[in-house]
Amino acid sequence: MTEALTLDQAKAVLEAFGPVAQLRWNRIQVVTEPGKARDVIKAAFGSLSCDRVIQMSTADVGENFELTYHLTGPHLTVISIRVHIPRENPSIASVHDLLTPAGIYERQIHDLFGIVFRGHPNLARIILNEDWPLKEYPMRKDWKPVKGTFYGGIQEEVR
Amino acid sequence: MDPFFLLLYVLVFPGFLFLAAYALFLAYLDRKVGARMQHRVGPPLLQPLADFVKVLGKEVIDPRGVDRPAFDAAPLLALAAVMTAFLYVPVIGPSPVAFQGDLVLVLYLLTLPTVALFLVGWLSRIVYSTVGGVRAVTQLFIYEVPFFLALLAPAIAAGTWSISGITALQAGHPWFALLQPIGFVVALVGLQAKLERTPFDIPEAETEIVAGPWTELTGRRLALMILANEMSLVVGAGLVAALFLGGPSVPAWVPAGPVAALAGFALFLVKTIAILLVLASVKVMTGRIRIDQLNDVGWKYLANAALLQVALVLFMGFWGVGT
Amino acid sequence: MVEITVPIGPQHPALKEPVNFKVFAEGETVVRLELDVSYNHRGIEKAAEQRDFIRVVPLLERVCGICSHSHGTAFVKGIEEIMGVEVSPRAQYIRTIVAELERMHSHLLWLGVAAHEIGFNTLFMWTWRDREVVQDILEELTGNRVNYGMNEIGGVRRDIPPAQVKKTLSLLPGLDERLVKYREMVRRQETMILRFRGVGKITKAQALSYGTVGPTARASGVDYDVRKDDPYIAYREIPWNVVTSNDGDVYGRTVVRIGELAESLGIVRSCLEGLPDGPVTVDAPKKAPTGEILSRYEAPRGELCHYIRTNGTDKVDRLDIRTPTLANWTSVAVCLVGQNIADIPVIVAAIDPCLSCTSRMAVVDTEGRARPCLSCTSRMTVVRGEDGEA
Repeated sequence: MTEALTLDQAKAVLEAFGPVAQLRWNRIQVVTEPGKARDVIKAAFGSLSCDRVIQMSTADVGENFELTYHLTGPHLTVISIRVHIPRENPSIASVHDLLTPAGIYERQIHDLFGIVFRGHPNLARIILNEDWPLKEYPMRKDWKPVKGTFYGGIQEEVR
Repeated sequence: MDPFFLLLYVLVFPGFLFLAAYALFLAYLDRKVGARMQHRVGPPLLQPLADFVKVLGKEVIDPRGVDRPAFDAAPLLALAAVMTAFLYVPVIGPSPVAFQGDLVLVLYLLTLPTVALFLVGWLSRIVYSTVGGVRAVTQLFIYEVPFFLALLAPAIAAGTWSISGITALQAGHPWFALLQPIGFVVALVGLQAKLERTPFDIPEAETEIVAGPWTELTGRRLALMILANEMSLVVGAGLVAALFLGGPSVPAWVPAGPVAALAGFALFLVKTIAILLVLASVKVMTGRIRIDQLNDVGWKYLANAALLQVALVLFMGFWGVGT
Repeated sequence: MVEITVPIGPQHPALKEPVNFKVFAEGETVVRLELDVSYNHRGIEKAAEQRDFIRVVPLLERVCGICSHSHGTAFVKGIEEIMGVEVSPRAQYIRTIVAELERMHSHLLWLGVAAHEIGFNTLFMWTWRDREVVQDILEELTGNRVNYGMNEIGGVRRDIPPAQVKKTLSLLPGLDERLVKYREMVRRQETMILRFRGVGKITKAQALSYGTVGPTARASGVDYDVRKDDPYIAYREIPWNVVTSNDGDVYGRTVVRIGELAESLGIVRSCLEGLPDGPVTVDAPKKAPTGEILSRYEAPRGELCHYIRTNGTDKVDRLDIRTPTLANWTSVAVCLVGQNIADIPVIVAAIDPCLSCTSRMAVVDTEGRARPCLSCTSRMTVVRGEDGEA
């Protein structure tokens, strides 16, 4: 097991992309622009020897969506790469070619939040049922189920 | 033979009625033994009969577009083939309808249930059944050669093509199971494959293709097909018992007549139950193999072993050893 | 050869939960795969935002029946860290005991299911009988066989009296013997070896790049176990080892899970013998300060992540769950291509899929009444009959 990454080591590589902070004894976060997310991931995989992605977490923080890539490696430190995506026409470049499981994670985020991942080969439904109406993104804070819309299950006429 | 007695033999005992009753009994024994080995309780004695009656009364569902007459006829074909084959298996003594070559006839009739299963699979028009039916026929090609060869060896050694003849020969003669152990083992393995039981239940692989060709069988079709399957077990066990374990043939010192028949019948029961116990144990002790792995095992080991056995028998016969 | 569509799911005997794999096969070889995991979606993440910390814990336990304690503990320890609450050692030990018992029952269940997938029902019956011993222990300790309800913010809800400690300790050696037998059986049973060896093989590099977690990854030689990498509850204080293998195929995963069973037994024993005295719960504030945390937990299936944001109220602001099964799906989808149809259930079962964890979304009534969903079973009642008209 290699040593845990220190804040200075992480800063040296990631400072160029945005502010770096240590959130926990084994978690370092860098906040960057959506356009630079891919470069940060490449830097983390290269210079910081991260070798896998743990999670792509999303949250609705009001004015924009916050998307965080959590990566880790043999140093057992979690590198969180945070981007803020504007609420209007949310879109970001897909990272499915850099992180293979992102293929599934991005589909799920798209289903729930409506963030479009440019360059993703197949942004089809994965977590919501096939009857779910298009353009309704349930995990957004301002989403409420619309009366009269069919969201899934048995329809009365089909008996 | 007196026509009345012949009719009694064929229809009641040891003919069709006995076959059905014994098939249900062996099915019970199979399930009970398997359950006890798995640390479970197992079904009561009349369970297979209860299952048969229950399934008989269920609704018959026709998949859309299926060829109804053919779909109805296939289980009947399987049942008829198996029941006819049983007439040639000696149960209380030589079969009254035996003739030279009835071994070949029985082997042919025993392949018909598999062909009927393939037909059912093909007619069902659902991918699970098609894949299952294809697997059933593939399996048939793989195990038929070793199975036939293994059953051929006793015929060569005995010098007769009649099952009853081979059985009668073993009355004063060591059993062919002892003289041809390789053939005996191959015959048992082939029997397990013919009956499509684990490790060879590939056509009916429940976790892969739902129920294979059995998926769309319902109601009386399913009941008859299951009965045909259970009867195949009796016929197969009876055949192997007759060819390798001497069947119902009694030693010469037993007085002929009813006593000999009774003793022969008892011997038949004991031998077939012994074979069933072996098959049930193998079923419980193994998992299912894949069709391509069966291909390997079948051609590499079974076929070669069977060929070796036949070669040995011919060789020994040439030199006048054995029979 | 003609390409046929074999629908595996949503209802299929090989699957214990509904998922739709549309497998496109040529003969017996898989060429393509389409995945749909929406069938168990129940809206738990959204529902969690509307419940305060006392009510949300039972909701989270019902994300999954088999790994219910995992979800509960992952959430509770995350919130405790945000609040700065120091949990008593006795509570940590009790949480560990229940966690490892859960791992044992889950692995025994998996062993039976894997055997059933290859038609080896004897092992299925035997392992599930032994699993009953673990379930009985859990029932005595927690009052329930699944969804234990042991966790609360600040500790656990029930104590373990000394009589129960003794009784549980007495049941463990019997299980130990059975595990030794199973280890032997897996090594020597020919049909298991035939069906498991070489099937679904992924290399270490592939395991890392596909983001696989848990026993699936450890079977390929990846030495990641959150209990060692980011220790929580009592794992720092108990001696135990990470089990890995270099086989990378389903056989390797079987060996790893049996090894983990033995390790879990050891951990339970150590915890019971060394149970510290003290209170089982401490007072925790009703509201959590603003903050966020990535709470990681080693569930029986792999690494479970709860990303929690709080905003100063008594409810959570955002709860994002990444379950181990979702992380492992990529490896399944990729390594199924080129395999036999006969191997599909084996490979799928080898990652120990828990679809209730994977899809956790809402059923919303057409009249607009959001109904809280507390059942683990799917509410998707539209079943597509896949009878030949693919």
